[in-house]
Amino acid sequence: MREYISNNLQETNELAKKIIADLQDKRLIALSGNLGAGKTALVKAIAENLGIKEAITSPTFVLLKVYNLNFKNLKKLVHIDCYRLDGEEDLQDLGLEDYIADPEALVLIEWAEKIKNLPEANLLKIKIEILGNKERKIIIS
Amino acid sequence: MRILALESSCDETALAIISGSGSDWVLEKDIVYSQIAIHQKYGGVVPEVAARKHAETIFPLLTETLGEEKLATIDYLAVTAGPGLVASLLLGVTAARSLAYAAAKPLLPVNHMEGHIYSNWLSNSELKNNDQKYFPSLALVVSGGHTELVLMKNHGDYQLLGTTQDDAVGEAFDKVAKILNLGYPGGPIVSKEALEGDDQAYKLPRPMLNSGDYNFSFSGLKTAVLYTLEREKNISQAAVKNICASFQAAAVELLVKKTIKAAQEFQVKSIMIAGGVSANQLLREELKKESTKISLPLFYPELKYTGDNAAMIAVAAYYGLQNKNKKILKGEEIFSAKPLSNWQIFLK
Repeated sequence: MREYISNNLQETNELAKKIIADLQDKRLIALSGNLGAGKTALVKAIAENLGIKEAITSPTFVLLKVYNLNFKNLKKLVHIDCYRLDGEEDLQDLGLEDYIADPEALVLIEWAEKIKNLPEANLLKIKIEILGNKERKIIIS
Repeated sequence: MRILALESSCDETALAIISGSGSDWVLEKDIVYSQIAIHQKYGGVVPEVAARKHAETIFPLLTETLGEEKLATIDYLAVTAGPGLVASLLLGVTAARSLAYAAAKPLLPVNHMEGHIYSNWLSNSELKNNDQKYFPSLALVVSGGHTELVLMKNHGDYQLLGTTQDDAVGEAFDKVAKILNLGYPGGPIVSKEALEGDDQAYKLPRPMLNSGDYNFSFSGLKTAVLYTLEREKNISQAAVKNICASFQAAAVELLVKKTIKAAQEFQVKSIMIAGGVSANQLLREELKKESTKISLPLFYPELKYTGDNAAMIAVAAYYGLQNKNKKILKGEEIFSAKPLSNWQIFLK
């Protein structure tokens, strides 16, 4: 487990680089943290550092957005937001299994704690805590 | 020409029939089944619940809409193919495909955002009778899933000028309501609280107001509300009203200023608003005030057409057929209709 502090978007951007460098064979990133913690902001920073030019917008409404990616063997970035789910759903109900099983997909899930039975293998967990105005603690495990 | 339209892109299952020729058309049927009550307990739309509900309601609604005649006197079918929740869209598209193929009727996939813009034709007879006078028009489409400024050059001819870079404005309203523990859907609740609040009580940011483009950002505004709340531990009811008023004023200012600026730059002949957030009274008033200053007419839909409905899809299909700007699928082609969850309005 590692802990980081970010005081602004520049530091979040640096952290995104570090996360990418440490990804190894992990393709599933679970993000948790309250409203306004900066989950989408971190996904944006990761996507930008992976070379995605498109604006990463909130997937809250549509649940899931897919972006083309060209990074090592990864061909798409799948951005999922479980904010609207009530916590009863599992992966099968949501049709997410195919994305997670796809070796060319990097899958980032916000509010991942609302999904039952996320596979633990190759899973990177990121928890963001709000410490104060703009100050965030990011716990990676 | 008679068109049956289906809409199921989010949490409303809706059907409508329009008939007419030229600019003379009438809406014959207009049925909307809303799932808001079901989603209220979850604090938002639950995609899988929404899709299951569409499956349960679409056939009884079809029976009710079509009656004894079934599809005999229908010439075309139209269906919302996107953007929206993929599971919800799939239900409507599958139903429309099956009906069209079985009854050998042509099928038109319609863009949901285009449909919202056409809700203005449902509600404004002056626009309906003299629409060429009002092109090019600038449309601000605002809802829980979208915040877009669209230049409508003519029927079926769109240019996307700007869009949100993070949260949609309606989503920001919903999340602010959640942060303040006010319930769902957030828009009407926040607006109601705001009525009795002081919009100057809190200094909230106007993200991207001077960004020099027509894009929007609402995520930072939402977070600013969160910080405000954390600074004041025990928040009074009066303070909640003040926060709502301050938040709404900031959101509306962002929308109005960028809309007016775009209207001037692109020298449009009218402004239209559409989508769930176009029901917001402050947005209507402010935009009316500012558009009057630059002598532009403002059109907005009746409240019942601000939310999702099939009537707007039927109207969009009608003008698409009139102006020959839509894909018309026949025979086996009908099965090429697919849900397109990110379908951009300017793409055919």
